Amino acid sequence: MSLNSLILLTGRTISQGVALEGGKVSRENVRAAGICTFDADDFKKLDCLVGTPVKVITDYGEVVVYSTITEEGPHQGIIFIPMGPWANQLVNPSSQGCGTPTYKGMKAKVEVVKNGKVLGALELIGRLKEA
Amino acid sequence: MADIKLKIKKKLDFPLEADSITPDNFAGKNIADIKKLPLFYATKQVTIGDYFEVSGKSTDVADTVIIIDGDVSNVKRIGENMTGGEIIINSGVGMHVGNHMSGGKITVNGNADDWAGAMLQGGELEINGDAGHYVGSAYRGYRQGMKNGTIKVKGKVGVESMLWAKSSKPSKKWPTLYCGSADAFLGIHNHGGTIVVEGDVDRCVGADQAWGNIVIKGKVSRLLPSYKKVGEVKEVQLPNGEVIKGKFIEYSGDHTIKKETNGRLYIAA
Amino acid sequence: MVEKVRTVKDVSCPFCGTLCDDLEIDVDIKKDIVVEVRNGCQIGTKKYFSSNPSDHRYMKPLIKENGEHKEVSWDEALDKAADILVNAQRPLLYGFSSTECEAQSKGVELAEMLNALLDNTASVCHGPSLLAIQDVGASLATLGEIKNRADTIIFWGSNPVHAHPRHLSRYSDFIRGYFRTDGRNDRNIIVIDPRNTHTAQIADKYIKVNPSEDYELIQAIRAVLRGSELDVKEVSGVSIDDIKELVEVLKSSNFGVVFFGMGFTQSLGKHRNVDTAIRLVAELNDYTKFLLIPMRGHYNVAGANQVFTWNTGYAYSIDFSRGYPRYNPGEFSSVDMLMRDEIDASLIVASDPGSNFPAASVKNLFKHPLISIEPHKTPTSAFADVILPAAIAGIECEGTAYRMDGVPLRLRKVKDPPGETLSDKEILEKLIEKVKEKMGE
Repeated sequence: MSLNSLILLTGRTISQGVALEGGKVSRENVRAAGICTFDADDFKKLDCLVGTPVKVITDYGEVVVYSTITEEGPHQGIIFIPMGPWANQLVNPSSQGCGTPTYKGMKAKVEVVKNGKVLGALELIGRLKEA
Repeated sequence: MADIKLKIKKKLDFPLEADSITPDNFAGKNIADIKKLPLFYATKQVTIGDYFEVSGKSTDVADTVIIIDGDVSNVKRIGENMTGGEIIINSGVGMHVGNHMSGGKITVNGNADDWAGAMLQGGELEINGDAGHYVGSAYRGYRQGMKNGTIKVKGKVGVESMLWAKSSKPSKKWPTLYCGSADAFLGIHNHGGTIVVEGDVDRCVGADQAWGNIVIKGKVSRLLPSYKKVGEVKEVQLPNGEVIKGKFIEYSGDHTIKKETNGRLYIAA
Repeated sequence: MVEKVRTVKDVSCPFCGTLCDDLEIDVDIKKDIVVEVRNGCQIGTKKYFSSNPSDHRYMKPLIKENGEHKEVSWDEALDKAADILVNAQRPLLYGFSSTECEAQSKGVELAEMLNALLDNTASVCHGPSLLAIQDVGASLATLGEIKNRADTIIFWGSNPVHAHPRHLSRYSDFIRGYFRTDGRNDRNIIVIDPRNTHTAQIADKYIKVNPSEDYELIQAIRAVLRGSELDVKEVSGVSIDDIKELVEVLKSSNFGVVFFGMGFTQSLGKHRNVDTAIRLVAELNDYTKFLLIPMRGHYNVAGANQVFTWNTGYAYSIDFSRGYPRYNPGEFSSVDMLMRDEIDASLIVASDPGSNFPAASVKNLFKHPLISIEPHKTPTSAFADVILPAAIAGIECEGTAYRMDGVPLRLRKVKDPPGETLSDKEILEKLIEKVKEKMGE
């Protein structure tokens, strides 16, 4: 199943804050920041269990993260990924000439990838380091 | 008329800052002296001769024409502060082309990067491609930007073009931008500038305009709610004397600044 | 009775811009590790505990050799770092937001010596707020003023329950103030956000705004405030009636404040979202007292802006390439320069761009030599060529930090730096000496 025409927002969550202080390379961090939070009604359309990996795709990249249902809804049409290495595969690096990239508001689509692998932070960022 | 030809001869891994390339700096100098003028590459001071082949002869400022060949799309600040003469650039050009210029003409036969014509005080800047963000805009921390002169961009201009433009009725200074289309926040903080767009513009055109005239011949992606419809016109009379014919809907704004305002936005009907 | 634990009181927490100054830390005297944290939020508490030695805390300097990090002496590590910096054509010094002011000052000194790019995390965070303030000024306040006076509090594009967990209980919501003696019941909390965040859920009013359309909403509010009747019925997902109602609430406040965050600065419009919010606040002062405060993310990014400004005249994104400081975010900002691949070496201090920069810019960052001054293993330090292990400011060394409202507070040292770690300031001082040597001064 998939969803198109979504808007991706990114930002702080307290769990992600705790996890990053506890160890950015830890499993806890993956569970805190390697997730995509859906509006409850939107999630029903995906027809999968909470926690199923999903691939999120924007014009700037794609990444596989765990799916969850929001506690901060309703926000139909909006998905939220906590700030960090997973979100940053998807954000718009353009600052429109002002210096700050566009971390919020990208158009996105989502596909369920039941056997998808959610990478740890080091493995994910390690891919950016060419051999 | 005297031409000086420059051709870039080195590959650039970093931007080259070329604020010394102006008719003012070349006028009255022989080729050997022109080659010694400074440029900045990364953190090193270098010379024009290090990076360009130079030929031709110079004369006084007003008659000096500088022709630049080769790819200078990573060369910044060409034409900075110039007061007369002409520069013709036969490729794309880097940031800040023609910034602070007060006279003369620059033609770019390609795309221009951000800050083209920033703080323009006069003269003419013509870009036969697209331009980046902040075309004809004020630099950071300045409350007044382009005060006079004309910028023509065939293609698209980036965000916040004509930021803090300021005209002067008594001095008959009408800073004007003509462009093919525009990104968001065109004419933001406008204080009397004139803008004519042949095509479409993105959101927030005329944001916080105190007064001025913006004419859009295409579509606006989203009109600011602080603009109010005044009526319909068959032509627009611009303060610089120009008349633009066609049916336009006239809006007043930005009403965030004043309840009654002389600021005007015209969108093709 | 032998004391097993040393208690340090009135400790300033080195996590977020709220800079809570009431923490109490218990340190095991024998092992010199943190054993309890009182009064801190979850995140601050975790930071203190994770300063204890662990498998992701660096104790010794490291140099990358054949793909592996090898332990080396300080001298060797500093020498290699200085080599990298001196031989670079366009070095970047970035970060500085999670360390104290004296270290930040050393960063300026080093950047100037190297004719480098100097930047801090405001570049990807509240830089747009600074740009807006440079254009249209700002009517600011201290958090104490808010605690004691504010009856209307707006959180716009900011979610303090998650990002500044004790902000609401110490300054902006639940706390009793001198003129707000009934605490929460004396305050009207309004949240404006595309999502019904946890902060919105405990507010008095939640206004849902379409993502990336805050600018239009504020323009509508300002025009209504000026007395205009608008042509439209709805703006950015908010009805005109709700806008008019909001304007009346704001006008009839006693003392209002707008707290704003990344919803403004990281969405399209960027600094113009902040610009118009500042103007709205200024225009509300025709009717009542209204102020605004940016919700700074890191505990000392405001300090980095202060220190950089005292020394160079500019707060962030500073270029020294022509021998004097120049400022132009968009041209000299870290992410933009990395996207254009204009950096050929970097020194990352007290920050983690590997995690927090857009992936495409991290790719270019990793193409070139990277020196990391960092206490922990992070997606930045893990890929560094040289790791200089730092003591954690506010835990293992003293210093000054600036709160989100510009108030400077003293950071305490609650335990000694573990292993061979040195404070950021000491590391930068030693690096400056090495660089001077190599540049022949």
